[in-house]
Amino acid sequence: MKLFWAFTRQAFYNTAVFRFEFWLRLISVYLLMYTIYWVWTTLYTQTPEAFGLSLQQMVTYGILGMALEIFLDVGPEWYVATQVRTGAIDTDLMKPLDFHVHMLARSAGEMMFSLGILALPSFVIGYFLFDLRLPEDLTTGLLFGISLVFSFFVFFHIGFLLGVLSVITLDIRSIAWAYYSMVSFFSGQIVPLWLFPDFLRKISEWLPFQAVYYIPMSIYIKRVIGSTALQAVGIQVFWAIVLALFARWAWTRVHTRLTVQGG
Amino acid sequence: MNPVALYFRLIRVAMQARLQYRADFFTGIIGVIVLNIVNVGLISILLSRFRHLNGWTLWEMVFLYCLWILGHSLFSLFFWHIRTLEDFLVQGTFDQFLIRPASPFILFLGREVQYLGIADATFGIAGLSLAFTNLDLQWGGLQWLLFGASILAGTLIETTLSLLIACIAFWTGRSRRAHSLFMHINMMVQNYPVDMFGYVFRAIVTGLIPVAFMNYYPALMLLGKLDPQSPWGWLGYMSPVVALGLVLITSAIWHLALQHYSSSGG
Repeated sequence: MKLFWAFTRQAFYNTAVFRFEFWLRLISVYLLMYTIYWVWTTLYTQTPEAFGLSLQQMVTYGILGMALEIFLDVGPEWYVATQVRTGAIDTDLMKPLDFHVHMLARSAGEMMFSLGILALPSFVIGYFLFDLRLPEDLTTGLLFGISLVFSFFVFFHIGFLLGVLSVITLDIRSIAWAYYSMVSFFSGQIVPLWLFPDFLRKISEWLPFQAVYYIPMSIYIKRVIGSTALQAVGIQVFWAIVLALFARWAWTRVHTRLTVQGG
Repeated sequence: MNPVALYFRLIRVAMQARLQYRADFFTGIIGVIVLNIVNVGLISILLSRFRHLNGWTLWEMVFLYCLWILGHSLFSLFFWHIRTLEDFLVQGTFDQFLIRPASPFILFLGREVQYLGIADATFGIAGLSLAFTNLDLQWGGLQWLLFGASILAGTLIETTLSLLIACIAFWTGRSRRAHSLFMHINMMVQNYPVDMFGYVFRAIVTGLIPVAFMNYYPALMLLGKLDPQSPWGWLGYMSPVVALGLVLITSAIWHLALQHYSSSGG
């Protein structure tokens, strides 16, 4: 456990170096929120109370989708890919710590950092400028918090698996574009799954990606409540376990054929 | 050797260098096409539920998106690396362009090609053909002329703005942050009709960072959404003028920047 925290703290320091990036990120977040705000406002002016949701709920969903990405998307695959490409991966493997756990600890550190430094200011922007509502009651807030933990866990593994792929392909940049645009699509980050045509919704319900954005965000705006909400968290737990096992298996497989570049 | 011939020779070399990596080429192309399909997919899901977005129907939105993509594809093919100017300046490698007996501008532009533009162009042409048939557009010679001119104007607008932003690095040493901000604004104009947003944003993308001329204003005219006789009707024809204006401004700034340049050494 002490080791775990050591890595977390290290990741925290590494990220803190890029101070000037801070303002750029905030302005970009503002623009993303601004866009999604106008999309829903425009659509709802045409069709008020569409699909049994108020504009406020819909805007909150949209803004949340932008805010969550800031700290959920820590990108462990870029770390793995860089280490593999430069050959520095051997120092990671020499550490007296399981690589999968090491990456999880590092990503958790980065996530914690972004949550405090970037996500909180973004929530403030969302709250004051774009009508982002707080959860209606304490239970919703708590359930959302629990759900977020599993979101992170699932999203981490989605990235980690891509990182494992980089051991085989060496370059994942172009694959990552396609991959993440699919993730964004099927996770309901921008357009919620209940607006999808039936066959696409069926597909998304069979994929792990809904566990990243759709479930916590639907809980937050109370689109799913009570036992359905608990069931949704159950789906997240299921995917978290499946992906963790799959990631471990894939890493062990790839580990044996790892070629370290350079000297 | 005249500058144009030199440029094409450089481009040919860059292309051969790129084609060394076949696997990367194909995954890259597929990646960009998937990305575009997802973007348009999201828009079409929204429009299938709400029918239109501020008066823009699905195929009109596809037209808007693909008009932007076509202008962008040429930029992407030949001028994408403008954003890397910063690296040359910081590392001092920019000097290599200054000590050769040719225009540093041509030498820098001819350094690289980015094959991903091919995917953008493919997607843009396919999308525009579909939109064209579905909207049942009837164009005369004037419209076709405006269409072609707008695509080229779109390329020039994105290229010059990108170069202007890159020039910031001559003074500050950095421009990457500004580039990524520019990309965000660009994506908003690419995906959504500008009239959906508030007045401030509309003013910015029309007057200050005129990316709305890449697709929005010509699309208004080409889709018959803008009456040429109306007080603002002339905006629909302005893209080539805006592009030429930007070319003049950028060339002046570029020469100013070169005079200002002092190598970082090394």
